[in-house]
Order: sequence, then C-alpha cells, then structure tokens
Amino acid sequence: MFKLNLKIAWRNLWKNKFYASINITGLAIGLTAFVLLLLYVNYEESYDTWSPELKNVYQVREFHSYSAPDNKQYWQTSNESRIAALLNQNIPQITAVTKVENDWYQNYALTVKDRKSVMIKGIRNADSAFFKVMPYSFLKGNEATALSKPNSIVLKKDLALKLFGTEDIIGKTISIVRWEGDDITDFTVTGIVTEPNTPQSVSFSGIIHTGEFDKHNQNPTMHKYVEIYARLLRNADLNQLNANVQKVYINNLKTTFTNSQSSYADYLKSGNVPNCKLLPIDEAHQNPPFVAGWIKKIKPVSLIVTFLLLISIINFINLATAQSFQRAKEVGVKKVLGSSKGLLVRQFLMETGLQSLFALLICGVLIELFLPAFNQQLGLNISFWSNHKLFFILLQLFGLFLIITLLAGFYPAKVLSNYKPATVLKGTFSNSNKGLVLRNSLIVLQFVISVTLIIAIGAMQTQVNFMNQKDLGFDKSRVINISANYDEKIANDIRKVSGVQYVGATTQVIGNAFAYADKINFQGKKLNLNMVTVTMEAFPALGIKPLQGRLFSPLYKQDTVNTVVLNESAAKQLGGVVVGKQFRSYENVFQIIGVIKDYHAESFDKSIIPTIYKVTYLGGMSANGNLLVRFNSSHYQAIIGKIEGVWKKYYPNYPMNYQSLNDAFIHSLEDNSRFMNMIVIFSVISVSLSLSGLFALSTFVAKRRTKEVAVRKVLGASNMQIVNLLNKSFLHLVIAANLISWPIAYILIKKWLDGFAYRIDMPVLPFIIATITSLIIAVLTVSIQARKAAIANPVKALKYE
Amino acid sequence: MIELKNIEKYYSSKGIKHYVLRHVTTTIKQGEFVSIMGPSGAGKSTLLNILGMLEEPTYGTYEFMEEDVTRLNERKRIELYRNHIGFVFQAYHLIDEMTVYENIEAPLLYKKVGGAERASRIADLLDRFNMVAKKDLFPNQLSGGQQQLVGIARALAAQPSIILADEPTGNLQSAQAEEIMQLFQKLNKEDGITIIQVTHSEKNAQYGSRILNIADGVVKDDITLTAV
Repeated sequence: MFKLNLKIAWRNLWKNKFYASINITGLAIGLTAFVLLLLYVNYEESYDTWSPELKNVYQVREFHSYSAPDNKQYWQTSNESRIAALLNQNIPQITAVTKVENDWYQNYALTVKDRKSVMIKGIRNADSAFFKVMPYSFLKGNEATALSKPNSIVLKKDLALKLFGTEDIIGKTISIVRWEGDDITDFTVTGIVTEPNTPQSVSFSGIIHTGEFDKHNQNPTMHKYVEIYARLLRNADLNQLNANVQKVYINNLKTTFTNSQSSYADYLKSGNVPNCKLLPIDEAHQNPPFVAGWIKKIKPVSLIVTFLLLISIINFINLATAQSFQRAKEVGVKKVLGSSKGLLVRQFLMETGLQSLFALLICGVLIELFLPAFNQQLGLNISFWSNHKLFFILLQLFGLFLIITLLAGFYPAKVLSNYKPATVLKGTFSNSNKGLVLRNSLIVLQFVISVTLIIAIGAMQTQVNFMNQKDLGFDKSRVINISANYDEKIANDIRKVSGVQYVGATTQVIGNAFAYADKINFQGKKLNLNMVTVTMEAFPALGIKPLQGRLFSPLYKQDTVNTVVLNESAAKQLGGVVVGKQFRSYENVFQIIGVIKDYHAESFDKSIIPTIYKVTYLGGMSANGNLLVRFNSSHYQAIIGKIEGVWKKYYPNYPMNYQSLNDAFIHSLEDNSRFMNMIVIFSVISVSLSLSGLFALSTFVAKRRTKEVAVRKVLGASNMQIVNLLNKSFLHLVIAANLISWPIAYILIKKWLDGFAYRIDMPVLPFIIATITSLIIAVLTVSIQARKAAIANPVKALKYE
Repeated sequence: MIELKNIEKYYSSKGIKHYVLRHVTTTIKQGEFVSIMGPSGAGKSTLLNILGMLEEPTYGTYEFMEEDVTRLNERKRIELYRNHIGFVFQAYHLIDEMTVYENIEAPLLYKKVGGAERASRIADLLDRFNMVAKKDLFPNQLSGGQQQLVGIARALAAQPSIILADEPTGNLQSAQAEEIMQLFQKLNKEDGITIIQVTHSEKNAQYGSRILNIADGVVKDDITLTAV
C-alpha cells in the first residue's frame, strides 16, 4: 500500500511539475531561512556548555556605573578586584575564585625566538587559580601547576601550532609586548589546552600569568576592574547564595567609605543601588551588560523567518486545495473500493511529506551554499555537518519536517478525504468552492506580510538616509584615530610630518567613547555631568567650532588648569547663556569659556549626553587610546606611512593600529545596516514567494474558469473584460491585505524608530508606495494567466465534454 | 440478499419536498441479474446509489445480507465494500495515476490480501480479460472498452458477491457494449455473482433475469425474464 501510494504521489508530482516545483522551491527557501536561524540559536545556546563541570562555574556581576556609556548602573562583567578575595573568604560554598583581565580586543605582539612577531588577540592575564575554576583539559602540561609561577603562559592548541608548528613546546619562551609603550616580557609555556567544542564567554587564545593578579589590591582608593569567576560546590542554592553575596558585598562597601570624604548614605542618596551577584556561566552570554542579549536581538529576525516559512506553507495549502478537484475522482473510487478516510488522509499527508522531504534536501544544499556567507556576515563559525550537536540538529530538522508536513498537508488532506463518492463519481463534478474562504484569507495573510515588509523597508531606508546625512557635529573626513595614548613628544613629532594639521586626544570620539560622571555645583544647583578630558588640539582635530565663547588654546595659561568648554546639552542644563560663568566641582572652581555644538560619539540609538570638556594637564588625561590626527588633504595614505615611520622610532616592537573616523562612523551604523540588509533580503524572498503562489493559483483559477470564459466570450465579452474579470477576484484580496497591513506596519515601524534617539517622523510615502507596488505586481501576475485564458479560442473549451 | 422496504428519498427546498424515490419495496435474491430501467430523472441512479450505500434513504429500511444498513457506521460500510460489493461506472473511473495492474490491485490492498495471493488473483483476471500485455499501461492509453474491462476486473478482484453497475456501457460502442454484457451474463451464470445494473438500453436489459422499471421515483413494473 505504502509503495503504491508513493508511486501515485510521485506520478502526481510529475504530472503537476510546475506547481510542485513552486511548492518545493518555496518551501526549501522558507526552510533554509528557518534552519539558518535554528543553527544560529543552537550556536548561541551552546555558549559555555562544553563541559559538565561548568554547571558549577559562576560569573560574578557587580551592579555599578563605572565605564558604563551613559553613567547608569549595569550588571557589569568587570568588577572591583577586591570582590574576588571577599567572596572567597566569606562564602563557604565557593571552592575557587579567579580574577581575569578584561578582554581588551587588543592585538598583542608575540615573538618566538628566530621567528617573525605575530599580532594576536585574546591574550589575557589571570591569577593562578584560572584553571582551577575553568575546567579546560590539558593537552600538554599540568593543570594544577601551569600558572603557579609568574611569567608563565598557557596556550590554546591553535595558537601553539600557529606560533611553533608543534605541540612539544613546554618550557619554551614567548616574548610579548602588550601595549605600545611596554617593554618586552618573556613568558614560559607551561601548558596547552584543547579548544572546547562550544564557544566560550571567557574566550582567550592564551592565558598569561604575570603574578600581578595574585596580589591583593592594598590601596583602598585605587579601583581595579577585572572579571571574576567562581567555582562552587555542587547543587548550590543560587537564591540563598546571592542573598549572602549581596550581604557580604554591602558590608564591605560600607567599610570603604570610612576614610573618604563621602559617606555610604551619600552614595545611596545619589541614586546608587549597591548589589553583586553570581550568574551561572551558561547564562552569561545571553545577559551581556549595556546591550540587549541575543535572544532579544534575534526576536524580529525570528519573526520574519517564521513568516517566510508560513508564506511558503500557505502556498502549499492554497495550491493543494485548488488542485484538489483533480484528485476528487481518485478519492471517490478509493472509497467505494473500501478505503477508509484515515487511509486517504494518510496517503495525502504522505504526498505532502514527500514534497517536504524534497524541500528539506534542497534546503540542505542551500544551507551548505549559504552558511559561509552567513557566518561571515555575523562573524560566527557555525558548521552543519561537523557540528558537534549534529544529532540534536537532525532531530530538530525531523521535528520541523513533521510540523511542516502536518501544517501544509493536513487541511488539504481533510478536504480531499471528505469528498463524497456519490457526488464526485457522477461524472459532472469538476470543481467545488471548498476551501475558497480559507484560500482567500491565506492569500490576504501572505500579502499582509509582504506589504508590511515593503513598508518597513521604505521607512527604514528613510531613517538610514537621515542618519547618513545627519550633521554629526564634527567633521569625520580627513581624520584618523590611532589607538595610542597621548604622548606630547610623539604628538609633536607627528605634527612635524607635512600634511598633518592637528594632533589631539579625547576620551569621547565615535568608535571609542568613554563616559565618566562627576558632581558639579552651579549657582547652588547640584548636578551630575559627564566629564571628558581633551588635549588642546582635540576640538580642531575633530573639526569642531565654538558656538559661543572660545575653544582651548595654549595662549591662555589657565586653560590647562581650570577652564572648561560645555556642549549645548550641558549649557542648556545650566541655563543657556553660561560663557564666563563659574561652577564648583569638589574644591575646585572652573570657568566656562565656550560652548560647542552637541557631537555624536556613539551610534544614533543613544542620545548625546550633557558633557563638560576640560584640559586638566597640558597633555590631558586622555588615557583612552584615542590619538586623533587631522590631515589637510583627503589623499592622506602616504602621510600615514610617514607617521608610521615616526611610530617605529618610539615603539619598535609594536605596530601602529588606526582607523579613520569615517570607517568608525560606518562601523557604528553596521548593526543597523546588517539588520536592514537582512530585512531587504527576506522581503524580496517573501514577496516573490507570495507572487509565485499567486501566479500558480491564478493559473488554476484561469484553467478552472475556462468554460465560463468561453461562454462569456461567445456572449460578446472583450479580452480586456475577461482579464478584468479574473483580476477582480484577486484584487480585492490585495486591497484588503493593504488595509490590514497599514496599522501593523505603523506600529512596528514606530517601535523600531523609538529605538533611535535621533529619528525621522513617521514617513507616509512608504505606505503609498507599498500599496501601489503590491497592486501593480498582483495585477501583472494575474494578468499573465488571465490573458492566456482570454485569448484562447472559445470553441475549444466548449467542444470538450 | 437485498431487502428494500418502503424506501423514500426526497430533497426539501423552501418547504416543498421533491421526491426522487417513493415507496420502493423489493427483494433481490442471491444470483439474480437485475436491470433497473426508466427515463432520465426517474431515480434509477439514486436507487443504485442507495443500494451501494453511497446515499442514505430519507425513509424506509434496507437490509443487505440480513443486516440493516441504513444506520450502518462508516467502518462496517467499508467492510462491506471490501468484501461484498463491486462497483462499475459509466465513466470507468479508473485512477489515472495507476497502471492497469495497480488499478486492479488497489481493492486487494484495502482488503489486506497477501502478496502472493494478490499476484495470482491479478494474473488470473488479466489472463481472463486478455489484458496481460497491457498491464503496465495507464488508463489514458486504453480504449473505452478496454478501460471498462479493467473497471470490471477491478470490481471482481475482491471477489464480491454483488456487482453494482451504473450504465456500464453508456460510453461504449455497441460491439464493445455487447462484449461487456456477455461478460456480465457469464459472471452471473458461472460464478453466481449478483448483478444490478442501471441501463437505458432494452437490449442490454435482456441479458439479465429481471427488469425493474422506474418512472417518477416509483417502481412501475417488475418483470422476470425467463431464460431463452
């Protein structure tokens, strides 16, 4: 029976090649998008699951505002280093604690004797307990003693092979220069660990142990921020544990205020909430500080992908029910031959299953084709066939296959198996309007999705144009940002290079901004404002001109002592006309000498914060690695070469890293443009899937109404009237879909735009364009088939039967 | 074998009953060859559909092999189709996507006849109807007469006790029609299969043993033919 049904299914598919291929391709595309999403979700879910022992590893998160982009408190991954010892001493369930340096995403120069230096990211300093907390398996070396001596290094296997070409390197030396001004330090290789099979929140290519992290931070006013991880006893009760952690943390915090000017009460009064917690490490990845976790980020995408799959399933259902009259006779005959309804439903489900299976196979091919591009777009490293969770993924695919088959096949199977043999076998049965309502509503749904996406593209494009053209408040052309701290000697040497106009430094520039709030007292008003230290030439280097007053200048002695420049937002907070006025910060008095326009240092989803700029010392305190160089011509590639020459003199062991501000700006829009690209791709796919469905369906309708068309022609209808007749039956569906999608699109776009601090008003044009476009392409699609029906010779249609 | 009592069938629309069949009472015994005759719209096909349990009478009782089938559940009805009733249609109604062989095989699959048994029965039927060479052809590759032969072979495959035929020769030329009628007669006489056919043709009716004449939903005549 199964074999025979399979044969019938195959013959039917072959007979209806055209529709079957539309069904299968559509489904394959929908599936591909969905499977990519599935792979992505699996990848993100797999973070920090590479060892069962990780169940007992926790990340320490302190709730604080230090280094936050907007001076608000966040659950940060970098914590005051003293917390490590504090927790270790006071929480009995903790068996080991380790401090790890933050990942600065910085290249370090690694040199092996007699080989060329290589720049490597992800070399992180840790204390000796690192491998007692993180359950890495050692390929070479001993886990217990690897980091026991200072100046030792443990490498991941990849890096070991890259540097030495062999794994037998225990005891060998690697020379490392970490920051540009550093001396060369030699590290002894004490171990090689295997790369875990899932990604890690605490990623590294090598762990160095300088010994610096083993020491306890003695100076109570000195804060050092590091990542802290703890290993706990099995089955710790997290809620109770975190209550304890918070208690210990707050008790300690209170003691730190004893010998400083402000008190714990002041700390609370200014809106701070002291807190600290342990977070299971497998939850760390989905809860990053400052930004939304991947689950939230992926929400709109998963919605679109699901819609895509839905559209292809709808095509399937529509074509199957429209085609059902072709199979009616078969159903009738089988019923009188003794087939039960259940058997028939099973047969039709199997036919759908066969098509889903084909779709799945094509999807497999498409995945192989698109996965590299997908990985590259998102900077991931996902594989399909060599995925360690392959079995699990295949299981998911099988589940997906079943769901799709049931979704797409159940309704048509139900319709078909319900045919009554007495009606279908009379011989006059040619079609019924069974499922017409459902079919029409499904078409409406498809077009609602497509039109909404088209409107969304239009609105997003308008916002993107707005962002690209928006006045940033500074001139981003002809400036590069060298990642180096300001050094007056080097700056002077760079100034001597011809073509260089200004050399400055600031902690607030697009691509690398750093916020730090300070208290001020302005005419009795107490405020918290963002403080940025700049060098004399920072503003000219950024192309910023004063709105009121003047900018810093070496001509004024006090500029290096107590003068400040405000941005417009800050000036507004202080009451508008502020030049010449003074404010106090702690015991110092500052004089406001100028106001500049607000300038963007972050992407457009963040508003510009009120900021005070000051030059505290001659060189500024801009220890944030932004050395800005402005050129006087836009052909500055050769000048950069000369600057590199200057650089070499000072830092022979460390190459110069730089980025133009233009690139930094583009980079700040990257997340958004990636999202935009994806929406465009998905919209194009969804629209073409909807259209292919409509096309196939109109073919059917035209065929089914051949006789009606012939009769009408004999009665004197013109070709145009016939085309209109067929168009009309689809056109009102498309119009209905447009009406439904307007409010939906409005709400979605509004929500998206609300995510931008700087945004356009709700545009009207995309709505109109989407409606007109959808109507035109729907009419064109249907007309192709309608025209065929209209110009056919009516005699042929009428002679038959 | 078949016992009809007071069968009525009507459709009501706007409060008016349109009778298709009225007071049909008759008995058909095992081994009879009955032809239902009458003008168009007389209710012949409806009667046959009721006999084949494709339609339910509005009123009256119908006993098939001593079992009241008017309120039969789906499962039981399918059992009857599988084991006792074979249908032959005017438009043949072969399944287009199946070959001759597969069309004949279908009822056996539903009856869950074993593979070897199935093969031998089909081989028998193909042989009997001279269709061996055509077993791998699809219905649209056959002439009308040949298609109807396959239709009959399919009806016989499950070895039914009764064959219901709705104008089996309606679409055929007279020579082919004659061939089919002779086949029916042979099946009736040699194999003892009960046959009920609806026909327009007086000539075809003569092959049977009894004629039910229907007009306006009422049985006008019930003629028993004596064998020539």
